[in-house]
Amino acid sequence: MEEMKATYIQEANELLENLESSLLSLEDNPNDTSNIEQVFRVMHTLKGNSSMFGLSKIAEFVHDLETIYDKIRQGEMELTKEILNTTLASFDHLNLIIIDSDLEDEKNKENHVVLIHKIHGLIQGSTVSQAVVVPSEIAENTNATVIPDNVLRTYYVHFEPKTEFFLDGSNPLILVAELCQLGKYLVVPHFHKVISIDDFNPTSCITFWEIYIESGGAKDKIDEVFVFAESNAKIEVVELTSSDLISNKEFAEKVQELKFKDQLINRDVLFELAARLGKSIVPDLPILPAIDANELLAESKNTQKSETKEKVVSSIRVSSDKLDELMNLVSELVTTQASLTLYNQKNETPELELISENIEKLSRRLRDIAFGMTLVPINNMFSRFQRLVRDVSMALNKEVQFVTEGGETELDKSIIETLTDPLMHIIRNSLDHGLELPDVRERLGKPRKGTVKLKAFYSGISVYIQIIDDGKGIDVNVIREKAVSKGFIKSDDVLTDKEVFDFIFYPGFSTAAVVTDISGRGVGMDVVKRNISELKGSIVVESQVNIGTTLTIKLPLSLSIIDGLLVDVANVYYIIPLSVVDKCYEVDNFEMMNNFNQLLVLDEKQVPFINVRKEFGYEEMSNSEKSQIIVVSDADRRVGISVDHIVGEYQAVVKPIGKYYRNQDFISGATILGDGSIALVMDTHKIIDLYTEHAKFELKS
Amino acid sequence: MKNEHHNDKHMNGETKSFLSFKLGEENFTVPVMKIMEILEVPKITRVPQSPNFLVGVINLRGAVLPVIDTRIKFGMTPIEFTINTCILVVSIEVNEEIIEVGALVDSVSEVFELSTEDIKPAPTLATRYRADYVQGMIHESDHFIMLLNIDKVFSSNDLESITEIKDNSQEEKNN
Repeated sequence: MEEMKATYIQEANELLENLESSLLSLEDNPNDTSNIEQVFRVMHTLKGNSSMFGLSKIAEFVHDLETIYDKIRQGEMELTKEILNTTLASFDHLNLIIIDSDLEDEKNKENHVVLIHKIHGLIQGSTVSQAVVVPSEIAENTNATVIPDNVLRTYYVHFEPKTEFFLDGSNPLILVAELCQLGKYLVVPHFHKVISIDDFNPTSCITFWEIYIESGGAKDKIDEVFVFAESNAKIEVVELTSSDLISNKEFAEKVQELKFKDQLINRDVLFELAARLGKSIVPDLPILPAIDANELLAESKNTQKSETKEKVVSSIRVSSDKLDELMNLVSELVTTQASLTLYNQKNETPELELISENIEKLSRRLRDIAFGMTLVPINNMFSRFQRLVRDVSMALNKEVQFVTEGGETELDKSIIETLTDPLMHIIRNSLDHGLELPDVRERLGKPRKGTVKLKAFYSGISVYIQIIDDGKGIDVNVIREKAVSKGFIKSDDVLTDKEVFDFIFYPGFSTAAVVTDISGRGVGMDVVKRNISELKGSIVVESQVNIGTTLTIKLPLSLSIIDGLLVDVANVYYIIPLSVVDKCYEVDNFEMMNNFNQLLVLDEKQVPFINVRKEFGYEEMSNSEKSQIIVVSDADRRVGISVDHIVGEYQAVVKPIGKYYRNQDFISGATILGDGSIALVMDTHKIIDLYTEHAKFELKS
Repeated sequence: MKNEHHNDKHMNGETKSFLSFKLGEENFTVPVMKIMEILEVPKITRVPQSPNFLVGVINLRGAVLPVIDTRIKFGMTPIEFTINTCILVVSIEVNEEIIEVGALVDSVSEVFELSTEDIKPAPTLATRYRADYVQGMIHESDHFIMLLNIDKVFSSNDLESITEIKDNSQEEKNN
């Protein structure tokens, strides 16, 4: 059962996510009927799921919400801002109560009642206004196309078939069942008189019914049910109230009581009760879950089938454990295939070569598919921000247009999850400190509405995510002064703008204090940077005063498999990610020896280099030999890395080297080569940082 | 604390299997349950700028396994590998996490069974090894075998404590 519940919550969360994005796009295009349909459908499925699990409170709540959207769908109600706000508030509430389905939390309980009131207010509001305009319309309006929830009305139906009712093949139970499909119901059966078994004639009908039904339709809908029975039975339909009496506890109890006593209800008592309860009726929590749930269950089964059908075809749910296992196996296959290729190179057998090549092709395809499976479109995350922007900009009294681009860009699911918080922080910053108030913007000649753009795109094996705003921007000089006053740099140091902006990511460097008068709050940008570094990504700021700020985040497509350049340093194999490799050169060793500036002239450009043998503590090569210089790009720097030999290109399945080596983080992992030996994967960014730190240290000492 | 532990075991007195190995002339032992397998020494890839006792990483059927030189860890001088040198793949528990690590030892001696009540408490004084590394002593004919607390010996947390110890001793010298 727990498992079922977990599935329910998972599905509900997904549905709610769907709902939110539809609601938000509805806000932009209130007349988009397809979105209204979508909202309605999602609510309907959610209602069905909830009642299937017996979570009647949620089901009831969603049912009421759904009613509003059904009316809008039918063109009986206008989609107002108020409705949207209430729906979004309800959405938040639903997010809470799908976990707390019994409303154990007092707060939830309170909220629940308040929201139900609001929703009912909205539903009734529409009915009243309509009634004022065309009072007679409601009664006549109800034709077959209007579905039951339109107007709540409770009817009393007295259905008494004649004793010869069975003779023409009629079945009263079918009629009762048909009637009960119209809405919520209470059915009380009665017998004419108690007869002895000897007098019993199975062909005569001795039962009659009292049925209380809450039907959205008018009386003629009920009459319709009995249209063929009229001549054979005594049928009486009386409208009791224009509200839902069935859900009322007192009324239900009264009826149940009579049912057990097998008494006919006294009409006067009934009308008096109905009149009293009809007025005082409050939107109460569902009272007869047994009946309601059954009804909803039947309904949900039908709708579920039709709606989930589409999904079943397009996707299935697989636990991430299984995917991880698949990835591990594929990684092993790739490694094994590398040894096969190697073996084949040593023992040239034409037949084997053919097989080996085929396996290589297949494993490559398999790898691409397996790794593609864990990728999810970044849109999932973007839609979450839509809401954030809406709420924050409202709170700040700013007018904001939130644009997303490249939502179809796919990223590893785990990366997306880790990325959400940093991005949220950045967007909040943009809204709070970046964008100006509408009046200020107008004075500056900018459109009143500020724009925050979230853009994602591929480049090589990296994914770029940009957050662009057209706000007031960040003044380089202010940051520079601040950095000087904090002692990070000297006042006469020459720094590029990019280097200056990097100070934003220093711990304790409050951007808020620099850029605006509002003091900074929440986590700092240093945390953002750290989170992104953990994903092996990087972040860069560009900004122009009064034009805006752009933050660019660069992330690796996948963490576990890379295309690399296999090199050899002092008989140890290393992998340099191909994505950073710019160009390879061959130089004589004496050029590197005693090179005071650590600079080489390559293609008539000066390139700083790192002597890996020296830095890694290997014995240095003799002057007469040659070294290979691999020029890698690190952000906008180009740095040469010296190695002994370049072996070739290699598909590396990167494996962690474990906690023992956490202080050697310039090695990002290890990969197993075809011959079973190990190659270490260099993190060139870290190596360059380390090297520059060393250089600084040497200068100081 | 150690004594209490010992007494508990004394009452139960169950029989367990142990594996003994040698470092130089010294005998050590660990519970067999902790040993996953014993390997000949394969090609070891050293990670640059790592502490001395971390000899490098090896390929254990597709997984990357870090290897620790137990001699260096215990402050002995490293020696050339011999035909008897081997790697014990041990599974240790650090911070409620199970990790596997290779331990380089001079030679593996034997697997023997022993009642836990034969384990004597470790002497608190006069050992050359850190007290928390040694869980107990086993007396055998004319010599002692040290029962190691393998989780402690190979815990990666020790990386810090080793450097701390170094720093402290340096400070002491300076003082």
